[in-house]
Amino acid sequence: MANVSVAAEWQLLYNRYYRKPELYPMRWKHIDLSRNKVACAPFGGPIAVIRDDSKIVQLYAESALRKLRIFNSAGVQISETVWKHPGGRLIGMAWTDDQTLACLVQDGTIFRYNIHAELVEPSISMGKECFEQNVVDSVFWANGVVCLTESQRIFCVADFKNPKPHELAEPGLEDSAPLCMAVIEPQYVMSGNVEVLLGVTEGGLVVVEEDSVQRVETVGGEVLGPLQKLAVSGDGKWLAAFTHDGQLLVMPTDFSEIKFACNCESALPPEQLAWCGMDSVVLYWDDMLLMVGPIGEPVRYLYDEPVILIPECDGVRILSNSSMEFLQRVPDSTVSIFKIGSTSPAALLYDALDHFDRRSAKADENLRLIRSSLPEAVETCIDAAGHEFDVSRQRTLLRAASYGQAFCSHFQRDRIQEMCKTLRVLNAVRSSEVGIPLSIKQYKLLTPSVLIARLINAHQHLLALRISEYLGLNQEVVIMHWSCSKITASLAIPDATLLEILLDKLRLCKGISYAAVAAHADKNGRRKLAAMLVEHEPRSSKQVPLLLSIGEEDTALAKATESGDTDLVYLVLFHIWQKRPALEFFGTIQAKPLARDLFITYSRCYKHEFLKDFFLSTGQLNEVAFLLWKESWELSKNPMASKGSPLHGPRIKLIEKSQGLFSETKEHNFESKAAEEHAKLLRIQHELEVSTKQAIFVDSSISDTIRTCIVLGNHRAAMKVRTEFKVSEKRWYWLKVFALATIRDWDALEKFSKEKRPPIGFRPFVEACIDADEKGEALKYIPKLADPRERAESYARIGMAKEAADAASQAKDGELLGRLKLTLSQNTSASSLFDTLRSSFQGVS
Amino acid sequence: MAQIPNLDNAPINLTSLREQSQKELLSILKNIRGKKCMVVDQKLSGSLSLIIQTSLLKEHMVELRHLSAEPIETDSTKVVYLVRSQLSLMKFICSHIHNDISKGLQREYYVYFVPRRSVACEKIFEEEKVHQLMTIGEYSLYMIPLDEDVISFELDLAYKECQVDGDTSSLWYIAKAIHKLEFSFGLIPNVRAKGKASVRVADILNRMQAEEPVNSSDIVVPEINTLIILDREVDMVTPMCSQLTYEGLLDEFLRVNHGSMELDASIMGVQQEGKKMRVPLNSSDKLFKEIRDLNFEVVVQVLRQKATSMKQDYTEMTTTTQSVSELKDFVKKLNSLPEMTRHINLAQHLSTFTSKPSFLGRLDMEHTIVEAQSYDICFEYIEEMIHKQEPLVNILRLLILFSVTNSGLPKKHFDYLRRELLHSYGFEHMATLNNLEKAGLFKRQETKGNWLTIKRALQLVVEDTDTANPNDIAYVFSGYAPLSIRLVQSAIRSGWRPIEEILKLLPGPHSESKRSGFATSPSYDSLNGAPADKLSDGRRSLVLVVFIGGVTFAEISALRFLSAQEGMAYDLIVATTKIVSGHTLTETFVENMG
Repeated sequence: MANVSVAAEWQLLYNRYYRKPELYPMRWKHIDLSRNKVACAPFGGPIAVIRDDSKIVQLYAESALRKLRIFNSAGVQISETVWKHPGGRLIGMAWTDDQTLACLVQDGTIFRYNIHAELVEPSISMGKECFEQNVVDSVFWANGVVCLTESQRIFCVADFKNPKPHELAEPGLEDSAPLCMAVIEPQYVMSGNVEVLLGVTEGGLVVVEEDSVQRVETVGGEVLGPLQKLAVSGDGKWLAAFTHDGQLLVMPTDFSEIKFACNCESALPPEQLAWCGMDSVVLYWDDMLLMVGPIGEPVRYLYDEPVILIPECDGVRILSNSSMEFLQRVPDSTVSIFKIGSTSPAALLYDALDHFDRRSAKADENLRLIRSSLPEAVETCIDAAGHEFDVSRQRTLLRAASYGQAFCSHFQRDRIQEMCKTLRVLNAVRSSEVGIPLSIKQYKLLTPSVLIARLINAHQHLLALRISEYLGLNQEVVIMHWSCSKITASLAIPDATLLEILLDKLRLCKGISYAAVAAHADKNGRRKLAAMLVEHEPRSSKQVPLLLSIGEEDTALAKATESGDTDLVYLVLFHIWQKRPALEFFGTIQAKPLARDLFITYSRCYKHEFLKDFFLSTGQLNEVAFLLWKESWELSKNPMASKGSPLHGPRIKLIEKSQGLFSETKEHNFESKAAEEHAKLLRIQHELEVSTKQAIFVDSSISDTIRTCIVLGNHRAAMKVRTEFKVSEKRWYWLKVFALATIRDWDALEKFSKEKRPPIGFRPFVEACIDADEKGEALKYIPKLADPRERAESYARIGMAKEAADAASQAKDGELLGRLKLTLSQNTSASSLFDTLRSSFQGVS
Repeated sequence: MAQIPNLDNAPINLTSLREQSQKELLSILKNIRGKKCMVVDQKLSGSLSLIIQTSLLKEHMVELRHLSAEPIETDSTKVVYLVRSQLSLMKFICSHIHNDISKGLQREYYVYFVPRRSVACEKIFEEEKVHQLMTIGEYSLYMIPLDEDVISFELDLAYKECQVDGDTSSLWYIAKAIHKLEFSFGLIPNVRAKGKASVRVADILNRMQAEEPVNSSDIVVPEINTLIILDREVDMVTPMCSQLTYEGLLDEFLRVNHGSMELDASIMGVQQEGKKMRVPLNSSDKLFKEIRDLNFEVVVQVLRQKATSMKQDYTEMTTTTQSVSELKDFVKKLNSLPEMTRHINLAQHLSTFTSKPSFLGRLDMEHTIVEAQSYDICFEYIEEMIHKQEPLVNILRLLILFSVTNSGLPKKHFDYLRRELLHSYGFEHMATLNNLEKAGLFKRQETKGNWLTIKRALQLVVEDTDTANPNDIAYVFSGYAPLSIRLVQSAIRSGWRPIEEILKLLPGPHSESKRSGFATSPSYDSLNGAPADKLSDGRRSLVLVVFIGGVTFAEISALRFLSAQEGMAYDLIVATTKIVSGHTLTETFVENMG
């Protein structure tokens, strides 16, 4: 049966099955791993290969130049470049988390390459000491490296994104070089700093940290001999160590005990030592792979070609010249289905499908047998399908699950759908062209978005786009990266064509930043393309600054104005202001009302003189005149300009200057006259202050000046001001009456009323007296009021209700009568009511 | 007496809006460790008082100062400026820092702009070479809830800046504020705008939606159904008339600021010479909520009634024996006593103003101007006011009313009045006149006015208004129905179309648009007469009315009156650049050159 053949490929280590399916036959040619230094990235990442310069190798028909070649996991070459860096031998080479290849050479320089074998600038230096002392060994981890120098000192870069090399504590090894080196990644160390483990000739370990060195000589009471090889597990909790006498020891990284020891029948240290998931340790010697578990006989695999072990979170990949294999513990679900003689519900379900396909009635029998545990069986089949690399087996398992699902009522139907989705993605990236052989567990750990990032990094944009579309992820990242790559790669395509190509894709994604793409185009020297792209950016706040940076000031100004965001307009304004000569600047903004108005607002507050230039150059003389006029007040505010000082001269001059400017244009006749009068007024006031020796005139109005004169009893001066400014009779009467009332000169008031018949009647006299609360005086004038209604109201105001009523009835105005009644009643009874109300509550509150 | 109003009854969750602002401020303060001196722009301190208690600020080791030209006296080494992005304020900050430097004081300066950073302000810092010395941030306070149904953007100068200076920054802020509301309450599907600024705000709002869409999946049904935006420019008549509602009159005579008034304690019956006290005015005060929107005449009656009934209860209480439950009822009533006393005091104080003949004469004149039948009487009245040198703003208010209803004055009169004004109040007011002319509020007549047509078509003057049992919004001005609210009334009822001809007579364009981002409910077409006014869950749908350039209390009262009408299925919420009265609005144009 089919089931048997599946399990036949498995190996048993104690009670656990292991399998080693081939992921790919390697598509490369003439690559001999033993001649090369090789760096393989975890999570099915790329493989970097370069001729090993520490070995003497025979050159066949090839150039003597060393080439760095990068392949995907299936051996398809992605890129290559010639290696011609100075700095001595290549000591270590590894892929970082973001799939940058870091190559450390003897002098402590780290050259970095992206997956396209392009050098990433700048290169990192491990520091002066490394440069002087030579690096002899290094260990990389996800995003950092430690290296050991000839004089046994250790330097570390903890994060390539922030490459600041620093030295760890001196291990104190004197002259003997350590036998082996391993690190515990910072994320697994309490202190958050990397911990370096060194195996030393005296035996035991030296643990080096940032500022401390610790020796581990015994573990769990047993003395450690010299250790030849070390490997830390993927979770940083366990250490596998190979001793000088051929034993493999496994211990926790707090060195509290030895978990198990295993004799490997070889005193020669293995070339490679790696963890296979968390369950077993794999050792590699020349032609043999030995897998050791905590209990039971180790499993042996023989190889007649060199291999490289690539640890993964759930197994270890084995790369040889001809193939890529994946050694993993067989997942429990798979075991329960395919184990020889298994009678688990899942196995029976799988079997039932087989019968069903062959139209055998036994299918039904099987189903009956497992009825109660059908949901688990379905679940198991789905899970097992996920762990398969073989597509046809995935399909069979999923069909079995779907067959079983038809018979259970309570099952989450989307489980199968979900798994199909996941598998489609996995199968797509596993294809040898893409060459990312992720297991389902690795995929979950890596997360889809990182996978997509890696795909676009490898320029697999279409696949990345499809996957993100399929998984409902945001496609913006993909399209953005594609657009930028496209621009970089398309130097030969004319702007307009390239724009169309780009827009075609950018439109797919709403809210994508055209400005960012445009900025990239600009960086690539395609300013025109950038200008065309930025046109499509809907966010003005991003568009405008970019337009400025590519020198499109006028467009920027138009866009900023359109957006209604005055802050953006200011941004453009200051930019142009700085860049262009004043006259050209004036010309630009004069045609743009919003920019012009904002400029004026800003300048009014801060650049007065410059504003004057602007108005002059644009022929707005009246505005200049206003500015001058305003300045004349600034002068008066000056504390140095005490009243009556000679500063009045310059003030008046400024006003006269502004008057001259106003008179240039016909429309400002009124302003011109006003300025003229103002200057005249100041002169008169100045004279008055001199003659009266009182500094109370300057900066009061004409009317106030007249009133002041009258109050001072200087009627001649008042008369003079009146004629000088042609004050009307009406105003004159009001002013004089009020002024006389102010000094309570009732006789003069009466005399004034009799001078001649007042041109506006006696109302001013009545009002002035009432306001001054002089009822008696008021009564002199009330009867003289011509209008009976006015009379009535005046009587009412001084509380003479009867006279008011009489006058009102004389006016035959009912409405007036009513209103008077109301006012009178509101004055008295309304308020008295409030008073009584309030007093009655005072006792309560 | 909490000055921060209770917003639990608001038709949308304004409390969360306020809490957000509070949180943002506190996080700014938390991030500046230790003792600090916060220097607040005067205009902002009122806003802050509606967001956060001073005690809470003290807890964060903040000492408060007001921003002025005077240098800061404090022991704190950290100075935090909280300022609006007004160019004129930057000079103060620069001079403070220069002053500290010259004295050798080393301080850390933080400048937080409200509501956002501004290139122009920072430019001044650069020019003054203090840019490097400060940390600049922003406090995105775009609006504050003043009451359950009123939001203010606190842009005092918006109207003047737009009309006179051509500085339209405030329009962007307004759009931003509305857009922020949309993020909380959903994209508003119907937008109607009248006036240049309003149409522009609607346009900017659409831009913002395109740039930074409100995620429609988060909010299934938009809480606000319609947005009506109006320019103050469209109706400058209403604010220039004296408001006759209780709250409006309080503002006219005693100035309401950020939901409270500062008064002499003696007015409130507290016998302490010269002491000022703050009186909160918001819906948390039940009695005030009941009477704020009534015509003042009626308020007096209502208060009288309430007082009488209380007095009666009190006499019964002292003369006859009462059961315990009756006692309880009485005590409950007593709880409202402080509010009763407060408003009786206020009303009494108000009536000293309203009974003045000058006030009555003024009302008369306003009415005559609005009627627009007797030009000469109005002209002479204003002329005489100038001759009597009455307070300038009072005159300008009437002048604006006069000029607007006549589409300006004939050149001869225009020049004559201007000259008389300059002669009476000084030539420095040339700038004020210039501002008013630029804004079109006091100008030369060029075309014949159409006020009479508008007045008739919109029935702005309503005869026989019963202020006690009003059936029309005209009660708020005792016979004049505010033009702005007539427009809102129409916009709510049936959109702009039926009054399109009249809209054309008013300044500025108008627009009406539907926005979607919602595939969900096509039936949200409710405003076009369809009876689907209620939301599915029985809530009333909501209309947001935005006034650019300010709104008066009387207009808000009129809106509340509208929404309380039978057959009116909408709740209204008002947002404004600022609560104004004719006085405060006119003041923004007064510029003293000296």
